[in-house]
Amino acid sequence: MRLLSISLRNLRLRLVATVLTMASIVVATGLYAAILVMAEQTRQRYEGSIGGYQAVLGPKDASQLELVLNTIFNVGEAPGLFPLQACIDLREGKGFSRRGQVRYAIPQARGDSVSSHAFPVIATLDEMFGKYEWQGAPLPFAAGGPFRFGWDDLMAFANDLTAHENARRAGAASPPPRPLLREEWKKCVIGARVARTLGLDLGSVVVPVHGKMGEFGFHEHPEAACQVVGVLAPTNSPLDTTIFLPLGVHYLIDGHETGVFVVEVPPGRTPDDAKRLPVSPGRLGLTAVVVDPKDHFGARILRTEFGTRPDAQVAWPQDVVPKFLRQIGNVADALTVIAWLVLLVAAVSITVAIYNTMNERRREIAIMRSLGARRLQILAIIVGEATLLSFFGALFGLCACHIAAFVLRPVVEDQTGVYLDWLTFRPWELWLLLGVTALGAVAGLLPAVKGSLTQVADNLAPDS
Amino acid sequence: MIHLRDVEKSYTRGAETVLACSVSALDIAAGEQVALVGRSGSGKTTLLHMLAGILRPDRGTIEIVGKRLETLGEAARDRHRGAHIGMVYQTFNLLQPFTALENVLLGALFGRGASGEARVRAEALLQQVGLADRMHHRPRELSVGQVQRVAICRALVNDPELILMDEPLGNQDRATGGQVLDLLLQIATHGKKTVVMVTHDPQSAARMQRTVDLHALRPAVGGRA
Repeated sequence: MRLLSISLRNLRLRLVATVLTMASIVVATGLYAAILVMAEQTRQRYEGSIGGYQAVLGPKDASQLELVLNTIFNVGEAPGLFPLQACIDLREGKGFSRRGQVRYAIPQARGDSVSSHAFPVIATLDEMFGKYEWQGAPLPFAAGGPFRFGWDDLMAFANDLTAHENARRAGAASPPPRPLLREEWKKCVIGARVARTLGLDLGSVVVPVHGKMGEFGFHEHPEAACQVVGVLAPTNSPLDTTIFLPLGVHYLIDGHETGVFVVEVPPGRTPDDAKRLPVSPGRLGLTAVVVDPKDHFGARILRTEFGTRPDAQVAWPQDVVPKFLRQIGNVADALTVIAWLVLLVAAVSITVAIYNTMNERRREIAIMRSLGARRLQILAIIVGEATLLSFFGALFGLCACHIAAFVLRPVVEDQTGVYLDWLTFRPWELWLLLGVTALGAVAGLLPAVKGSLTQVADNLAPDS
Repeated sequence: MIHLRDVEKSYTRGAETVLACSVSALDIAAGEQVALVGRSGSGKTTLLHMLAGILRPDRGTIEIVGKRLETLGEAARDRHRGAHIGMVYQTFNLLQPFTALENVLLGALFGRGASGEARVRAEALLQQVGLADRMHHRPRELSVGQVQRVAICRALVNDPELILMDEPLGNQDRATGGQVLDLLLQIATHGKKTVVMVTHDPQSAARMQRTVDLHALRPAVGGRA
C-alpha cells in the first residue's frame, strides 16, 4: 500500500467526477497538441518544399502567394495561363541581365487531377527529375524512372501544333494534321502517396480527370491514360501527392484545345477576332515555370526585370513562404493561447472537483491522521489525485490527438495539402505531458492544503 | 509508560472558554490495562486524544513511551502516534473504500511503513482474529463484530506499546463486545502492551486491571479549575 494507491482509490471512488474532470484535460491537451502538430507539419511541409528552385514564373494577374502555393504546394487552382515565350526567353537568356540568367526554367501546365482524392496532375518536362532537388539530391525514385519528354520535344510539338492552328485559323482547306498523342508520351511518374493510396505500381494506368472528380463539369480523359513508369520515394512533401506527365499530353487532351494558346485581344478587336489571329509557338499557355537563377540574388533581379513585362511575373518562394508561415504562425499562436486558456480552465476544474469533496472527506482524513498520517502525507495524497488526473488526462489527450490525426488525415490533406504524420511521437509531447501533469499538481494544491488542515479530534466522530 | 502532570485542555466556544479536561496526576505502568471512566463531558475522549498526541494540552506535561508529547511538534507527534500507539474507536473508523486487509495496512503505512513484512503481519493478525476469509471484503460486507476485529488488527499492526480505546464496545451487543474485548486483552497481555480504555460500561471496566475515574483526577477544590 502506497500513498499513490490511496490517491488512485479515491479517484475510482468518485468515478463520475473523475471521468468528467479528466475529460476536460483530455480535450484541452488534445486541442493543444493538435494545434502544435498542425503548425509543425504545416511549417515542415512549406519549409521543406522550397529547396532546389528559387523562383516561380506565373501569370501577371495572380498574386505571388497564390502562384507559389499552387505551383509548389498544390494548394488551390492554377491562377491562369501565360505564354510559353516567357520561358523561351528565360532559357535563352534573351533580354535579361547577366545576373538574371538561369540554370533551368521548366514549364508546367496543370488543371487535371486523378481519382476522387483529386491528386493534381502536372504536365512538365523530364528535365525536372534531374534538376529538382530533395534534401540536396535529385528527386529519389522508389521504382522505375522518369518519362521521356524534353525541351526539344516540346518545341517540335509546339511548332507542329502552331502550324496546324494557324492553318485552321486561316480557314485552309487542308491544314496540316493536328499532332497525334504519341504512345511513347503517355507515361507518367507518380508520388509515393498516390501510389500507396491508389494501389498503383509500375505498369499501372492512370486516367486524368478534368477538374476534380465529383465537382461540376468534371470528366475523364481516357485518351490521355498514362502508364506509370516511375514512382517517387516518399518525401513528406507535395511531390508525394502529385502525378507528373509529359507536357505534350496536356495540350492534346480532348477539350484542352481552347486553352492551348494564349492570345491577347488587340485594342479595337473582339475576342472572336482574336480567335482568327495567327499564333506562334511562344503563345502556348503555361500555368507556371519553375526557375533556378544562376545568381544568388537572381530571383530578386528577375522579379524586377519581369516587372516591366506584360505577360508574366516572378514570385520568389523564399520571400513569399516565410511571410505566409508568419501568418500561419500568428494564427497558430492565437490558437495556442486559446488552448492554454482551455488547459487553465481544465486545471481549475480539477481544483473545484477535488475541493468540493473536501467537506465530505474530513472524517476520512481525520481517520488517516489518527493513524499517524502527517499533514504532508495528506497533502501528497490529494496532490497525487490531481496529478494522476492530469497525467492520465494528458496521456489520453495526446493519444486522442494521434487518433484524430489518423482519422482526419485524408480530409486535412485534401483540404490544406498538409500531411498529418500521426504515427510519430515528438519530443515536445513528453514535455506537454509533464507540463500538464505539473499544472494539475499545482491545481491540486489548494484542496490539498485545505485537506491537510483538517482538525483530527473534531472530525473523528461519524456525525461530525 | 504514561505520566501526566497538571494537564489541562480548554475549548473556546464563542466568548466562553470551557475546561474540557483536567488531570492533576496520572501514572500508568507498562503492560497495565486501565479503564478510564467518568460521566459524560468529563473529558475522557479529550484525555485519550491528548494521550494519542492528537491534541496538545494547554498546560501540564504528558510523557508517553519516554517522549514528552507537549514538547513535540505536530508532525513528530503524528510519527510518534503512528509508531507507538494503536487506536480503536467506538465507531471503528474503518475507511469504507478499502478492504479489511487494506484498512489494516493503512495503519502500517502511516505507522512503521507498509513493507512486505507489514503485509505478512497484517494477514497474520486477521487470521488470528478469525478473518482469514474476509481479508478482501470491504467494511460494509462485514458484520459489526468483524469490523471491530479489523479495527483491533489495525491498532496492533505496528506492534505498538500502547493501545488506546474509545468506547470500543459501545456499538454492539454485550456478548459480541465481550468476546472482542477478551480477544484484545488476550493479545495485549500476551504482547505485554499497555491498554487504556475509555468506557461507560462497568462490566467492561471490570475486565481491566485498574479503573480510573476521571473526576477523581481533577485537582482538589482550591487548585486550578
